[in-house]
Amino acid sequence: MKPAAFDYVQSHSLEEAMVALRKYGGDAKLLAGGQSLVPLLNFRLLRPAALIDINRIPGLDRVEMIAGDALRVGALARHHTLETSPVVARHFPVLHAAMAHVAHLAIRNRGTIGGSLSHADPAAELPMLALLLDAIITAESTGGTRHLAARDFLIGALTTALAEDEIVTAVEFPALPAGAGWDFAEFALRSGDFAIAAVAAVLTLRDGVVGEARIALMGVDETAIRASAAEGLLQGQRYRPELIRAAARSACAAINPITDLRASADYRRHLVEILAERVLAGAWNRAEGQAA
Amino acid sequence: MSAELRPKIIGARVRRVEDPRLLTGGGAFADDLGTPGALHVAFRRSDHPHARIVGIDCAAARAMPGIRAIFTGEDLDGLVKPILATSRMRNYHPTPIPVLARGKVRYVGEPVVAILGESRYLAEDALEAMEIAYEPLGDVVDPEQAALPGAPLLHEAAGSNILVSREFSRGDVDLVMAEAFVRVGGRFRFHRKTPVAMENRTYVAEYDRGRNFLTLTSSTQVPGIVRDALVALLDMPGHSVRVVAQDVGGGFGGKTSLYPEEVLVCALARKLKTNVRWTSDRLEDLISTSQAFDEIIDAELALARDGTILALAADVTGDVGAYSIYPWTAGIEPVQVVSFLPGPYRIDTYRGRVRAVATSKPPMGPYRGVGRPVSTFVIERLIDMAARRLAIDPVALRRHNFVSGDDFPYKVVTGLVWDHSSFREGLDEACRAIGYDALRSEQRRAREAGRWFGIGIASYAELTGIGSRISAAPGMPINTGTETASIRIDSTGTVTASFGITSTGQGLETTLSQVVAQTLGVRIEDVRIIQGDSSAVAHSTGSYASRSTVLAGGAATLAARAVREKVLRAAAHILEAPLEDLDAADGAIFVVGTDRSITFRDLARAVYSEMGRLPKDTREELEATKVYDPYFGTTSSATHIVTLDIDPETYKIRLHRYLVGEDCGRVVNPLIVEGQVHGGVAQGIGAALHEEVVFDASGQILTASLADYTIPAAGDIPPIEVVHIEAEAPSTIGGYRGMGEGGTIGAPAAIANAISDALAPLGIEITELPVTPERLFQLVRQAQAKAAKEQGSS
Ligand SMILES: Cc1cc2nc3c(=O)[nH]c(=O)nc-3n(C[C@H](O)[C@H](O)[C@H](O)COP(=O)(O)OP(=O)(O)OC[C@H]3O[C@@H](n4cnc5c(N)ncnc54)[C@H](O)[C@@H]3O)c2cc1C
Repeated sequence: MKPAAFDYVQSHSLEEAMVALRKYGGDAKLLAGGQSLVPLLNFRLLRPAALIDINRIPGLDRVEMIAGDALRVGALARHHTLETSPVVARHFPVLHAAMAHVAHLAIRNRGTIGGSLSHADPAAELPMLALLLDAIITAESTGGTRHLAARDFLIGALTTALAEDEIVTAVEFPALPAGAGWDFAEFALRSGDFAIAAVAAVLTLRDGVVGEARIALMGVDETAIRASAAEGLLQGQRYRPELIRAAARSACAAINPITDLRASADYRRHLVEILAERVLAGAWNRAEGQAA
Repeated sequence: MSAELRPKIIGARVRRVEDPRLLTGGGAFADDLGTPGALHVAFRRSDHPHARIVGIDCAAARAMPGIRAIFTGEDLDGLVKPILATSRMRNYHPTPIPVLARGKVRYVGEPVVAILGESRYLAEDALEAMEIAYEPLGDVVDPEQAALPGAPLLHEAAGSNILVSREFSRGDVDLVMAEAFVRVGGRFRFHRKTPVAMENRTYVAEYDRGRNFLTLTSSTQVPGIVRDALVALLDMPGHSVRVVAQDVGGGFGGKTSLYPEEVLVCALARKLKTNVRWTSDRLEDLISTSQAFDEIIDAELALARDGTILALAADVTGDVGAYSIYPWTAGIEPVQVVSFLPGPYRIDTYRGRVRAVATSKPPMGPYRGVGRPVSTFVIERLIDMAARRLAIDPVALRRHNFVSGDDFPYKVVTGLVWDHSSFREGLDEACRAIGYDALRSEQRRAREAGRWFGIGIASYAELTGIGSRISAAPGMPINTGTETASIRIDSTGTVTASFGITSTGQGLETTLSQVVAQTLGVRIEDVRIIQGDSSAVAHSTGSYASRSTVLAGGAATLAARAVREKVLRAAAHILEAPLEDLDAADGAIFVVGTDRSITFRDLARAVYSEMGRLPKDTREELEATKVYDPYFGTTSSATHIVTLDIDPETYKIRLHRYLVGEDCGRVVNPLIVEGQVHGGVAQGIGAALHEEVVFDASGQILTASLADYTIPAAGDIPPIEVVHIEAEAPSTIGGYRGMGEGGTIGAPAAIANAISDALAPLGIEITELPVTPERLFQLVRQAQAKAAKEQGSS
């Protein structure tokens, strides 16, 4: 479990990192927190010619509120920073709630937001939250800057729309609609494990009727997904327990889970339905609380 | 001060003397050893479960940078003999373990080629350049299939995959079963587990060519066994081989066996006249350290209407993996399952059959609890199943059948003997401490509220600190019944106590310091413990089988008493007082009832350094070496009680309370005993709920990383309460009973019982461990389908 030999490039600016990436033409890997990359190197599942370390690039770890009550998170911000940020807790409580489920504290201290998005593990919380919150991901290269919607960014398991020479520099979370209710629930075998399944939802109510509904699921498909049909079912409806159950069933119908050592596809389906029911009920409760 | 008023060291919650070192990075683990110029070994391991080696091409690897030598099995001919675990057991087929595979491979992970490089990185680079051609041989994966006549053989010379078979029998089991009021039983399955010590196995061989002296620094629990084996396998004189295990980061049985890698570094250090080292990585640990359990048990229990147990029958198939491990043999785990199956109960009519079947998996070895986690799981499940059928409270059913009072010493059908131990008291105390009756009321309320709330009990007895009467493994030609202590007061008055046992983190330095300090009359800080060194005493095996405090503690007591007598004799001269008036405590010898005294330091100076202070013929070296043999050994026992909730929708299990009422005899240090219980229970929780080594149908291992082999983390362990019964062992020095393994023995059974209790309204009995959420999901689904069908047909 020792990595194959590689060049190590320390970059001190975004420009340097982008130039280095270009130079190695797809045969280099950016090194952020290293929490996903280093195990892959040690198993020799990846053998890049070079690692380009971006940890010393100044300013890439900023977490700040920007115009329109949006949240902008620099790619090098650590999971732990988001988890403990009062700004995040106040404006994006659903993100705050999800962050505590990312791995263990030691890993959250090193792992980065940019790394998590770029690695795109189908059971990682951050890509799912990006999808739920309609986040915009900024990717830069020597060729220019692109802004990608999360749903366009996440393509498949460990696959994103990022080009070989692009670096994720930031992710922006647009403000949640006023009075939105939310909830997040995850099932993992042990605290700190990658989820077997997780569901998150955001709901807005006007006079007891659903305005907007967003439901995101993870661990149950190639990438995190939005349960669009279930979202549609809820729109314009009033609370009925059967409605919640129907939406949960609909969310469940949208997924394509695998069977692995930890859980069968059937059990994952079962879990998604249970979690979706709980999360929708929780989000509804919060939305009602907001409205009152 | 009178002896009664003096603070006692034995029994006190003394802080662990090794902790400052271990907790601040000051420990010296094998991998910490600096060996400039050493060669690093990387192993090319088999990726086939069972295959003939057709050809090995090392040419390209040899040409890689930094590669100094490459060895295959054939290259080792004449350098080292294969490892062979012999035994006097009948119906046993030993299997030679080649240090590197010869002719064929028998499990994925078996070492085939050793590459020696200037660094581990370079050696691993060269691994990839090597070509090995295999021709697959037949699958030997499922133990029941492998036991059938005509199955492909893993060891042709053995003539069968059944390496051990044995039967214990007394009484007409079939007849008693047929006539019994009630019978409960089923097929039980306890899956394969692996120890996962925090420190991976590490072996560093240093060869002093000027002196032809070999020092192996090893992460072993058994330096004495390793030294003796190396001497035989390498054909070297014993005085020229030393095995050292300074700090060892956990073992749990996984470091009690001799490993091919361990022998290899020694053979090659000697051959190449240089230092050779290897540190396992986690992948190698998970595929090549000895594994545990893996039994299928068909068992049945017969009872009378009043709950009296009438008969027990069991057929055990143990999957022992590819080789019969040294020195314990393939019998170590499965044979113990049938030996201990009757548990702490009076059972006169018993039939226990066992087969140890070789399969193409990593070898089975001793693991914390050996056999008893599995036997306890089965008998305790049977007891609870019977209690449910008979509508008797499970506590009452256990009490009714326990060996108790005048029954002791009790000879179990299988030949074990229980000396007086607190089976009943442990159960009663545990029930009292946890408030058992109140828990049952809480359960009624919880059920009414729709909760799946369960209470689980497990009682067990174990044989610990065994002496020379019984071998730690059946028929094994190694003396596991004695330990030696060598205690010396040097010319500065400090005490060095040397042992062959090895602490793997369990606090033996503290425990033994307490025993030595109190017996001698010195302070703990005056005592230094040397352990984990084969050169410290003439013979030792090491630390395993809950033996170290009983055996080494007994030897320490004997040796300390002998040294104390010498000290007092010298002091009698110097203080000019009769021997009977002297006592020693706190680092000084004093004349009782006076203020006349002398410190150990001054006394040592008088004895060793001040010429003429003592008459010539009374001067004695202040040292003694003693061996202790507890002969039969001790009986330890405990009752575990756990409460838990199962989420009726997701099947997530949450443990609430966990209480252990245990009797390990006289407690030397409650802090350490509780730590051992906590750790053991945590491992038992792992076995009950999480840990399983999984292979596919062809024998490829699927759980080769800690992402897939899941051990519990701190957050998964509830607070654990411990109640000590402290019934001093009747027949050993000090009254200690062994206690290192117990936690792991009781927890799987208690949790399985609690889950079954929670699911009783659904009629689900847990017969397979670990109980994962996936397994619960399937069980509940089956139960619901069955209920729906019954409703449909009625
Ligand atoms: C035991 C364990 C448990 C874990 N559990 C969870 C969990 O429950 N949930 C979870 O979400 N994650 C979990 N993780 C993963 C962890 O959160 C990682 O930190 C995260 O996935 C990757 O972040 P990183 O900064 O460490 O990335 P790295 O490991 O440094 O990089 C990962 C990949 O992303 C690329 N990359 C990194 N930064 C950028 C960038 N700015 N632009 C473009 N590409 C980039 C790298 O080149 C590499 O390919 C776990 C990890 C471990 C070891």
